[in-house]
Amino acid sequence: MESSPTQEFEYLFKLLMIGDSGVGKSSLLLCFTSDSFEDLSPTIGVDFKVKYLTMEGKKLKLAIWDTAGQERFRTLTSSYYRGAQGIIMAYDVTRRETFTNLSEIWAKEIDLYSTNPECVKMLVGNKVDKESDRVVTKKEGIDFARECGCLFTECSAKTRANVQQCFEELVLKILDTPSLLAEGSKGNKKNIFKDKPSQSDATSSCC
Amino acid sequence: MEAHASSFVSKARTAFHSAAAKAERVLMDFKIDLDSDKQFHDEFGRQRGDESARSEKFLDELKHIKWRPPHIGTKQDWQDRINNMRKGRKEVEVTDKVGDVSMASAPFYDENMYILNVKNDLDAKASEAIPSVEGLTAATKYPIPPSSVLKQLAIAIESGRQTNSMKDFVASSRGSSPAREKAGLSLSSVKALVLREKEDKLTSEFSSDEKVVYLINSLFDQEGEFLKRNSDPEETFISSLPRDIHGAPLESLVVKLAEVIGNFKTLREMSLFWSRVVDELRKHWSEEKHLPGIPPDDIPDLKSCLLYQQFQVINCCISRKKRHIIATESLDTMVMEANSNALESANYTGKIPTGPLLYARLRTGELVLRLGADCPSGDLTLLETGEPAYSPVTQEGPLLTEDLIKETEEFVLRTGSVGAGCSQLLSDMQAFKAANPGCILEDFVRWYSPPDWSESEGSTEDRDSSYGGESMSTRGQLSLRMQKEGNLWRELWETSKPVPAVKQAPLYDEDLAVEDILDAFEDIQPSELFGQLFVSLLSFGFAIAETMLYGDLDLSKLFNDCKEYIVTTCQSDRFNEKIDELVQMYETVEKMLLNPDEALKMKHMEESTMTTDESKRRFSTGEPKHRFKRLSHIFGGKDKLLTRPVCKNEVNDEETQIRHSFSSFFDSKSSLFSKKPPKPGNLYPAEQPLSLESDRTVI
Repeated sequence: MESSPTQEFEYLFKLLMIGDSGVGKSSLLLCFTSDSFEDLSPTIGVDFKVKYLTMEGKKLKLAIWDTAGQERFRTLTSSYYRGAQGIIMAYDVTRRETFTNLSEIWAKEIDLYSTNPECVKMLVGNKVDKESDRVVTKKEGIDFARECGCLFTECSAKTRANVQQCFEELVLKILDTPSLLAEGSKGNKKNIFKDKPSQSDATSSCC
Repeated sequence: MEAHASSFVSKARTAFHSAAAKAERVLMDFKIDLDSDKQFHDEFGRQRGDESARSEKFLDELKHIKWRPPHIGTKQDWQDRINNMRKGRKEVEVTDKVGDVSMASAPFYDENMYILNVKNDLDAKASEAIPSVEGLTAATKYPIPPSSVLKQLAIAIESGRQTNSMKDFVASSRGSSPAREKAGLSLSSVKALVLREKEDKLTSEFSSDEKVVYLINSLFDQEGEFLKRNSDPEETFISSLPRDIHGAPLESLVVKLAEVIGNFKTLREMSLFWSRVVDELRKHWSEEKHLPGIPPDDIPDLKSCLLYQQFQVINCCISRKKRHIIATESLDTMVMEANSNALESANYTGKIPTGPLLYARLRTGELVLRLGADCPSGDLTLLETGEPAYSPVTQEGPLLTEDLIKETEEFVLRTGSVGAGCSQLLSDMQAFKAANPGCILEDFVRWYSPPDWSESEGSTEDRDSSYGGESMSTRGQLSLRMQKEGNLWRELWETSKPVPAVKQAPLYDEDLAVEDILDAFEDIQPSELFGQLFVSLLSFGFAIAETMLYGDLDLSKLFNDCKEYIVTTCQSDRFNEKIDELVQMYETVEKMLLNPDEALKMKHMEESTMTTDESKRRFSTGEPKHRFKRLSHIFGGKDKLLTRPVCKNEVNDEETQIRHSFSSFFDSKSSLFSKKPPKPGNLYPAEQPLSLESDRTVI
């Protein structure tokens, strides 16, 4: 759990990572935020990391939510789609099932739970370092991305190939979308009706 | 007690003189001539209910108060007056000098007559103010709800913006208005003193009003026929508008509620009706009755308004409580039956129990009852015992509305806690253990997270060395990441005890969740409530119109411009500044449906204007601006027509102030001289200025 010191920022964007269990979502996130690789234990429910960076002269704070891919956790993770400006759909190039499930399961989850019609979606094929085990070609990925209307990239969390570019490309696309940029602006008050603070349910921590 | 009465009398007296002085000034302004006693009595005798007639009667009465010479009656007259004063003293504890009797008695007598007339008029008016089920049902003959309903909701949004909660709104909608504040604080405070005591009584009277009860029953009727519009069931076209602008699904309880509340004539009654609705919601919850017009078991739809989501949670929690009761009874029955079988088993050694009970045999040969087993988990068998693996009944996840999601997310971001996932995983592990005696972590992972288990063929040598003599066709292993040291999954597994889901501590407390929602309803901010109802009704009308205008090319074009404007406005953060324009859009669509020819004429006029501005159009950038420009032309045309209504509003405003002064004067007098405590009917004069203000905003 990364407790980052408070830094100045002008824009706060929410990114969400989804995909089957074991494709490497958590490793990708760790690689991007800490530039390291680790074979992490399966995510339990939801995890998050915060990353500060400056792009196009703007100071950004990224809240990146990492979700567990197991079916039983889907109800819990579905609430984190709300308001996300960017969504990363991850699959494992060495397991075709994880690619098939993107259209069978995860694209439908986005339709159901995403409340941001203009959110930027990015298709990410991970584990390209295992080229000899590859079963999903790059062309298949490109075709699916075009069909879905989302960005596409392949990378490897283990070798750190292309991971940084992957997230940066996503953020650049968000910065190019006026409505998303306005949402992320610090002074934005998106809600039509003023929120009334009600009693919050404190979740008991087992960690 | 007596001190309080004294203070009350003192304030009342001050208010009386202040009001009298103001009335006198008004009288001078009107420069009304003297009138004879006979003519006054004649006019009074006619008991005309007209507003202006009432004003004139009041003026005539004032003349008599001022100019009638002191009257010295007979001894009997004096005796009667003194007796009246004694009776009056018991009720209001007013001490008056004899010298004032001659002046006080005449207004006293006339005031009673006037109060009676005013009360009768106001009772009739109040009766008309509450919408009737029949009236609302008749209105469904029109294709979409009348724009007057939407206007009333818009008025409520504006009025409620400065108020923090609905309770304050009920009080303030009666107690404070711009016109009344001008009359002075002392007058307001006296009125508040008198009226506050009657607030609860009037509220309960409103709730038990026959029409209100009928409205509530119709609104919550399970058949759902109330306010149903004749939409073609064959129509497969479903408008995305309600979700685009965060409204509510068509024909849902929220839309019907919006239509009902928008038909009330006063803001106060709108608020009181909402309180009545909340009471009904509490009743449904306690009786475990689903709300009509809301799905019985769906998780909250985040693309609908928050009110709709909260209604969904209530219904879903009702379903869950029912399921929980059934599951608990089922488990208890199973355990009792198992215990009973155990006794029988003791009597007949070696007999294998029969029936629906599910058992698992351990490696020791011992039979253990499966608790909370749902259904076999495919072909899975437990690794150590070979028994079939069962999927357990598991607890259901939390029902989060958009506000709770936001809070949860902020909480997690602030504290770093990801406990929700761990809680659920632990709960599932315990349920799995209860349903699968003799299981190990590997069994759970194979069920819960299949990618973390890999099957592999063991060699003969491995088989012999690992499991002496036992034959196993396959042997697999956990994924590397699952085998890691310090893996939280294993730690949770070793912590978990076999407890079926229905016996576990709840991950999500339905009672707590619904109680929070109902409390939030009681204290909801007025602009938040009326805003959601406004958007829901707006989207409802537009969605129906969209279906009806689908085939009409000319009107479709104009309609789509209006629709696009509405979507853009509702999605922006300038919604609150654009409510009037949204109402005008709705009126345009209403006209398209009710009077298509006139709408087309307007369209043609607008098009000719466009032709005139053709040169300007060349420099416009992008289609959206172009469309909005055309829309502004429509509004521009309407703005010119607003001049006359504004003048009318000014006149109405003056009348409002005058009437306010008069009604305040009468209220004060009635509290001072009435033999009986002020009746609820006397509270209605306070509503008049408010109603007039509502009328003032009608364009």
